[in-house]
Amino acid sequence: MSKKPLALIILDILSLVGVLGALGLILFRTPVEATMGPVQKVFYFHVASAWAGMLSFILAAVAGVGYLSTRRFSWDWLSLSAVEVGVVFGLIAILSGMIWALPIWNTWWVWDPRLTTTAIMELIYSAYFILRSGLNTPESRARLGAVYAIVGAATVPLTFFSIRLFRTIHPVVIATGNSGSTFNMSPRMLTAFFISLVTFTLLLADLVWHRYRLAALKAKRNKERN
Amino acid sequence: MNPFLRYLKIILQIIRKDIQVEWRGRQGVPVMLVFSLLVVFLFNFALQLSPDLQAGLAAGLLWVSLAFASTLGLNRSVSLERESSALDGLLLAPADRSAIFFGKSLSNLLFTTLVALVLLPIFSLFYGQNLLNLSLIPIILLGLWAYTSLGTLLAALSIQARTRDVLLPVLLYPLALPILIAAVEASRTVLSGGTMEESRSWILILLACVILFNAAGLMFFETILEE
Repeated sequence: MSKKPLALIILDILSLVGVLGALGLILFRTPVEATMGPVQKVFYFHVASAWAGMLSFILAAVAGVGYLSTRRFSWDWLSLSAVEVGVVFGLIAILSGMIWALPIWNTWWVWDPRLTTTAIMELIYSAYFILRSGLNTPESRARLGAVYAIVGAATVPLTFFSIRLFRTIHPVVIATGNSGSTFNMSPRMLTAFFISLVTFTLLLADLVWHRYRLAALKAKRNKERN
Repeated sequence: MNPFLRYLKIILQIIRKDIQVEWRGRQGVPVMLVFSLLVVFLFNFALQLSPDLQAGLAAGLLWVSLAFASTLGLNRSVSLERESSALDGLLLAPADRSAIFFGKSLSNLLFTTLVALVLLPIFSLFYGQNLLNLSLIPIILLGLWAYTSLGTLLAALSIQARTRDVLLPVLLYPLALPILIAAVEASRTVLSGGTMEESRSWILILLACVILFNAAGLMFFETILEE
């Protein structure tokens, strides 16, 4: 295994500084939202992790296309790493959303398109791990994993769209329109929000890179063993 | 022979072969039918359904039982080809391997539609809800087509894993969610007296699913089957 590249070290430092900086901004510099109170501060990391999760699932599908067209295992390591990190970010988004939802919606869960789609995505990508763990060779794991990652990502917009159509026909008891888009952000809130988004994107790249190196190391070890 | 005609001929041959296997063994359709009836009965007790079911519940129950039952048929349809290496024979067919996908998914569609056609009158008897509605037929066909296309694709994936028998539902159900939502909603609209026009957006989603999953089969089936 090669030495840790300088770019990765820089990325480590950047994401650490970013997370601490964003946390500081959110805790001490952003105003408390008028109607929701301090719990609204969950919003910054909540949206950022949902964004990072979505991005990494797209990355996994793109890496799947990369594997199928080049048949190089490095694409598969990237795809697997992206799915793993994406599932963690999705879980963070769901859990942080629940913390916010209890005081605001007065319930842990609402069957809103965004929530439901995120939950279904977690299930789709949990099945991805189950599929891989049942396959015997690295080649079939890579090949079938790539197909599933691509088909899985392709259904997500359809799922989102059909749930949204479903919910607009069925009125919901608790209005879900105020989830982030309707309250007006002050300039400081906007700054903290964008810094969180950038930070989580960096953090995503950092984590995927680390996981990718682990996958490469594992593949190398298995090769040496045989 | 014209390559396109040969492609079509292979698809038809696979369907014909599956019908023959099913006719001689009768191991697919009866199992699916009994299973779907069991689901209908179990749900009656589990959810304490009243005999005169609302349109929404009837549509949901119908699709859940069809979806569960088709999983059995899909698993069997592909594992049949693994037994005594029948698949190797199929792979020798002189055409793109996506022909196998279309042949298998269309024969699966045929069998699940058959199950649905028997289930509908029985369901109507038990729940005092007339499901013998002509506008329901295209919805069932379209929904089952989307479902069996996705299912055939994923069954070919899951059959290669050690955990093959339990894997298919886990892979299939989360991806089939848009099909189920759209099929249930379109059926509900029709059953509660709505017109086809009112369920148009749901039928469009079903159509999109059919196109998406058949395109996926066309593109990836060759990749899935290579060894």
